[in-house]
Amino acid sequence: MLTRIHGGRVVDPTDGRDAVGDVWIENGRVVAPSERKPDRTIDAAGCVVMAGGVEVHSHIAGGNVVMSRLLLPELYVSESAPNGHPFAHAGGSGSWVGANYARMGYTTAVEPALPPSNALATHLELADIPLLDRGALAVMGNDDHLLQLLRDGESKDAVRDLVTHTLAHARGLGVKCINAGGASAFKDGVLKLSLDDEIPVYGLSTRKIMTALLDAVEEIGVPHPLHVHCNNLGLPGADDSFVSTLEAAEGRRIHFAHAQFYAYGVVDPNDPSKGGFRSAAERITEAMEAHPNATYDVGQVVFGQTVTISLDILRQFGGRKGAKPKKWVLTAGDAEGGGVVPFLYKPRGSVSSLQWAIGLELMLLSKDPERTILTTDHPNGGVFTEYPRIIHLLMSREEREKEIATLPAIVGERSTLPTIEREYTLSEIAQLTRSGPAKLLGLTDRGHLRVGAKADVAVYRDSADRTAMFSHARLVLKDGETIVEDGEVVSWRSGRTLELDVEADAAIVKRSETYLQDRFGQGLDSFAVPDAAFPETEIFEDVACRA
Amino acid sequence: MAAWVKGDAADTDAAVEAAAALLAAARMPVFAGLCADVAAVRAAYRLADRIGASLDPVAGPGLYAELGSLSAGGALTTTAPETLGRADTVLVVGSRPWDGDLVSEIADTKPVRGLSAGDERTVLALGGPRNGTSRHVAYGIGNVGLDVAIGHLRAFVRGHLAGEAAFGDLAQKLASAKFGVVIYDAGEIGEAGVDMLQGLLKDLNEKTRFFALGLADPFQGRSVLQLAAWTTGQAPRVGFGRHLPEHDPWRFDSARQVADGEADAALWLAALPAPRPDWLVQFPAIAIVGEDSADARPDTAEIVITVGVPGSSAGGAVWNERRGVIGYVPASGNAVAATAAGVIAGISQKIAEKGASC
Repeated sequence: MLTRIHGGRVVDPTDGRDAVGDVWIENGRVVAPSERKPDRTIDAAGCVVMAGGVEVHSHIAGGNVVMSRLLLPELYVSESAPNGHPFAHAGGSGSWVGANYARMGYTTAVEPALPPSNALATHLELADIPLLDRGALAVMGNDDHLLQLLRDGESKDAVRDLVTHTLAHARGLGVKCINAGGASAFKDGVLKLSLDDEIPVYGLSTRKIMTALLDAVEEIGVPHPLHVHCNNLGLPGADDSFVSTLEAAEGRRIHFAHAQFYAYGVVDPNDPSKGGFRSAAERITEAMEAHPNATYDVGQVVFGQTVTISLDILRQFGGRKGAKPKKWVLTAGDAEGGGVVPFLYKPRGSVSSLQWAIGLELMLLSKDPERTILTTDHPNGGVFTEYPRIIHLLMSREEREKEIATLPAIVGERSTLPTIEREYTLSEIAQLTRSGPAKLLGLTDRGHLRVGAKADVAVYRDSADRTAMFSHARLVLKDGETIVEDGEVVSWRSGRTLELDVEADAAIVKRSETYLQDRFGQGLDSFAVPDAAFPETEIFEDVACRA
Repeated sequence: MAAWVKGDAADTDAAVEAAAALLAAARMPVFAGLCADVAAVRAAYRLADRIGASLDPVAGPGLYAELGSLSAGGALTTTAPETLGRADTVLVVGSRPWDGDLVSEIADTKPVRGLSAGDERTVLALGGPRNGTSRHVAYGIGNVGLDVAIGHLRAFVRGHLAGEAAFGDLAQKLASAKFGVVIYDAGEIGEAGVDMLQGLLKDLNEKTRFFALGLADPFQGRSVLQLAAWTTGQAPRVGFGRHLPEHDPWRFDSARQVADGEADAALWLAALPAPRPDWLVQFPAIAIVGEDSADARPDTAEIVITVGVPGSSAGGAVWNERRGVIGYVPASGNAVAATAAGVIAGISQKIAEKGASC
């Protein structure tokens, strides 16, 4: 079927488009303008037409997400929906996740923490998220098998082969390391870890583990750079960890998770333990400008109750006494494990207000929105459904000023946010939420509207109220089919889970089998994610490695 | 595949048709058991949503003892492989952990990872069977329950009590661990016991690392729990009578619903072995049970449909207790045609064709 989206303001920064025009679609792809009469014409007059949104870092599946629901079931509200999709109105469920992303015009979302030891359950859960294409990043950096190889000084090839095999077996889209070595160190009594501190027993450091993974990811040709969660998240002085980690990459591609939580400079350098923190957004921005090899997602904070979820058990243990309500879960798992800690970003509280300001400051200072991805690190900074409000604040200084006026003076004393005049354009919003994340993930078929792109398209009614505009898309197409009209899901379909097309070397398969049998009493089969485990067919879709 | 309707042999399609008719006519159907692979339980949730049924897994007391404590105060947990590989001190609480092979394996091995690698492991027992089959130091609990004994021990760890030789010694051993693990069965120690145990672990973690290894129920409760959480955002038990999931362990207790006359039809799902409730046989009910199981017989329920058994005559994603995760098990023999998920989907399809909904 030939479809023409007619007369909308088409915003595609990858093609230099920001003007009224048409988008043509056929067989699930964007096609060149046709002289044939379209089978369907969508009148987009008065609307903004963008590619479907792409999410790079949102905790939407996995054992810790499940645990968060059991620990804090009251976080989300379920609503009655007699005619809707089963469970789409069940607050916090996978179907709820898919529906709410789709309503905002998002069509792809990636879970950033796929533990290889629990890969099947994570993928079963991802597969139950409707409407979206999904993916997940395999987590390495605390697993004994990798640390043994590094401790024993094995070759880069051996590390590369283990990473390849882990990616293939866990069916990941990329690789992430989370406070590399931190979980292992925590189990051996360490409570604070920096880039060059020694990991007990292994004689390694975060730097050594991370750089080995950086090398492996490059050599394999993983399109998404190593996704790095640094040491010392959320602590005053975390900016030092961010910058030293950036420099440690030595020019290799690297992606930083939730940079806002690292943009905390100490107030008193002579006594870092006193005075809390101040914004280090300018420092982070300067460092990023000097390192074009790097990208980050923001991890914007929004006010209100949430539950933090992280495989950084060292950090989550440190944060347990700030839990609100006062309950928390910590799992010493087979590699990372995880921590689940409820948290309240107190409305108009001084600390949460400064965190809120720093996230916006990072985005507004950035000279390259394509390397600055909008996330809330859902649900760690807040729920992803707050994206429209964040976009509104980025696009309107007046709106920011209204909000800042309600906040404590610390926002102006310790950040530059109130002085920033910049207002994001729609093209920059598209870079922040479409082209940037798609490029970052290596998904060349989305995030833009050029000929050949997947026909994942969001149409918004243009409005000065950007919150309303981006909360309820007028129309969303997934692979050319209408899934949302006037902010409501009208057609329930399943997307695909994107996995990297890699094949493991036979020698490492044999070696892994031996290692796992020795450690777990069970081999690779017990870690497998076979197609047969899924109730539906055609769950996965291959993504090619870089040439 | 064998199937029976009111005691008479039937083909599977006829039994599915009869099951659909029974459920379509019901005002308050209950789905119980849920001892099956993830795909089957997933299908049961979808059917329950369609017809407004409630769901109640047979993995009862242990699951709820842990859930109550978890939602009230949280938890510190670990895995069996991490216990075997890293723990220098293991405390076994109660009798049930001694039933399997895990405790003897722990007693017979040394940690191989972490600071204690190569050291002898200290195995301690609180209120255990004192059977002497595995190397351990036993601490009796007298006439009190395990929950009270754990509370007593916690008081020693916190320094609120002192002077009693045995518990003082035990508290000291726990506090001196580098990586300790407590093994327990939540069904045995109860919610109060789990709650007190987790409090003990929080106290110990002020100075060292100590985690809990709760034994899984044998009826797929933990995989049901995961699927329930990602499907509804909530734990079971759950009801869909008002077209939204409502979690209420008391209201949706299937035995209570049947006894109080609230339910008028039931679906018993046990593709894997599970203890059949007494009320099933006298109630308008469908039983979906594993082929060649003890319940694969005409008098189990009004309608009986046999299906493939995950890991035997069918593949399926099921709980892997050793690893503490959901894992896939292929059919070890010839796979049978009917799976539990397929049968439930068939019932759902037939109900849709009838145009019935709650």
